[in-house]
Amino acid sequence: MGSPALSWFSYVRRTPLLIFLLLYTVISGGPFLWVAAMSLRTTPEIFAAPYALPTRLHWEKFVEAWTKSNYGTYFWNSVIVVVTAVALLTVIGAMVAHALARYRFRGSRLVRFAILSGLILPPQLMILSLFQILLEYGLYNTLSGLIVVYVAGHLAITVYILEGFFAQIPQDLFDAARMDGYSDFEIFWRITLPIGVPALFTTVTLNFIILWNEFLYAVVLLTEDEKRTLPLGIMHFMGSHQLDVGMLATGLMITIAPIILLYAFFSETMIKGMTAGAVR
Amino acid sequence: MAVVEIENLTKRYDGGAEPAVRGVSLAVADGEFMVLLGPSGCGKSSVLRMIAGLEPITEGTVSIDGHVVNHVPARDRDIAMVFQSYALYPHMTVYQNLAFGLRRRSVAPAEIERRVRGAAERLGLSPFLARKPHALSGGQRQRVALGRAIVRDPKVFLFDEPLSNLDAALRVSTRNELIKQQNEIGITTIYVTHDQVEAMTMGHRICIMDKGEVIQVGRPLEVYGKPANTFVARFLGNPPMNLMKAELGAVDGRVRCHVAGISIELAERSVAAVASGVILGVRPEDLYEMPVPTGLGPMAEIPVRVIAVEPLGAETLLVLASADGSQEFIARVGRQTRLNPGDRSTIALDTARIHLFDAATSRAIPHGRA
Repeated sequence: MGSPALSWFSYVRRTPLLIFLLLYTVISGGPFLWVAAMSLRTTPEIFAAPYALPTRLHWEKFVEAWTKSNYGTYFWNSVIVVVTAVALLTVIGAMVAHALARYRFRGSRLVRFAILSGLILPPQLMILSLFQILLEYGLYNTLSGLIVVYVAGHLAITVYILEGFFAQIPQDLFDAARMDGYSDFEIFWRITLPIGVPALFTTVTLNFIILWNEFLYAVVLLTEDEKRTLPLGIMHFMGSHQLDVGMLATGLMITIAPIILLYAFFSETMIKGMTAGAVR
Repeated sequence: MAVVEIENLTKRYDGGAEPAVRGVSLAVADGEFMVLLGPSGCGKSSVLRMIAGLEPITEGTVSIDGHVVNHVPARDRDIAMVFQSYALYPHMTVYQNLAFGLRRRSVAPAEIERRVRGAAERLGLSPFLARKPHALSGGQRQRVALGRAIVRDPKVFLFDEPLSNLDAALRVSTRNELIKQQNEIGITTIYVTHDQVEAMTMGHRICIMDKGEVIQVGRPLEVYGKPANTFVARFLGNPPMNLMKAELGAVDGRVRCHVAGISIELAERSVAAVASGVILGVRPEDLYEMPVPTGLGPMAEIPVRVIAVEPLGAETLLVLASADGSQEFIARVGRQTRLNPGDRSTIALDTARIHLFDAATSRAIPHGRA
């Protein structure tokens, strides 16, 4: 071990892997860096030299997008919708997952099946009926309507992830808490939730990222410009005849910045929550 | 302080053909240390969980101090339980673990502080109060689990195999610690284990269970000395009691037992009624090498062949076969034995200390001997 010949050989053996990783990084990171570069250049500059680096940093484009293109409104709409939906999903999803993981009640298998079947239905399938339902209940073209749809649509994956984690919490802990005098709800609140924090982080991050980028439901269920969320706002820069590439890139950067930040802070916790699960 | 009585307790799990517990009745006196002993799957843990209120009761009653508590929720029974896995709350410090049950019972903060510090002092946990369970050793976790029960000052303690996750040395010291604590606190205790050494050393009384039923209840030495059937005889004692097929016969008005090619004359016994075969039980410590130490009762001599010699240090186990090859048994002898595998020798059997069981029912046949 460790002889020059052998380490040279192992280096050669690793080369394909290194090449693969390098390619993967370029393919996934490249477009992001390209958009980031474009977000600081004007559209004429971009058309002149699409792949050039910024010569002068046009930070004022961010101000322009925020103020003149209604981006401030879109951003806050997105924040309201996504934060509320994620909060509701976390609370409701955790309660459902706790009940399914802990209690054997009549019909529990049916309830689990009904909720988890939401995993297999493509969103396009439900869009017409959702449109009709929201219209009937006066929720069409409202942020609360979109929140309700988001919560319903993402409950399945939330419950799926949380139940898997909660089911691994040893039953003895719950029995011990019962002997210590706690009610079922208190046990959920004081035992399941605190122990389930890694899994909760996972679902919060996952739901946040997916909902923040959600386009299909938003475009169908919201019509007024004042109610649009960020993914719809980006479309603003895409007219039917012209494309303001520079502003589009700026808008994209505003849109994905919160996601990047969220992921940067919580990616490790999220991966832990998805892979681990041991409580001991 | 409480008397726990269970009456005709039965537990049937969904989908289980046979009940896990059937018709168990047991009375545990105030301050008594009762051990439920049996192999895994014998229903002892189910009994404990029904007493705790963690498992619904199929039939029968559980009473504490004369009140039937079948429908009283676990949290209102004033029982504390120590689990095999310790079940410490992983997100709380030792202090919080100890205080968790008291907080719910709206004990005054100063009193919580006093009781938690007192229990920690008593169990040597004071330096670890700020730690979380994952930063503790197995023995320390076990003590936290015990402390959590002690601070509650409950009517009854329940223990579900609390020592089985500890290594051998720690198990002995923790066992002694538990005995000491229970003696000092004097709270009625029900302790489930499959370890006969724990049962013998800890219990005021032992309740031996098998296949969901109570086989025998009694003080440790009483159960050891007079096992009710062959199951108890084999379960208590290590190595277990030797059981040999034997025949009874009357010669000249005296009852003789034919076993392993010899015939043992029995003291007066009302065993003549048993026509079918019997099983003769002898504990390994009631077999002696020749010459027999003085001062013992009448002996029967069995010619044997030594199959294996297992020196354990303080003593030596001899695996023996009777000369006719019909029986194999174990003798516990002194460490200075000179026997070697393959040797032919004679082993003495203390005839006053033999046990007889009905071969058909495997129940003990009552002796004339006290």
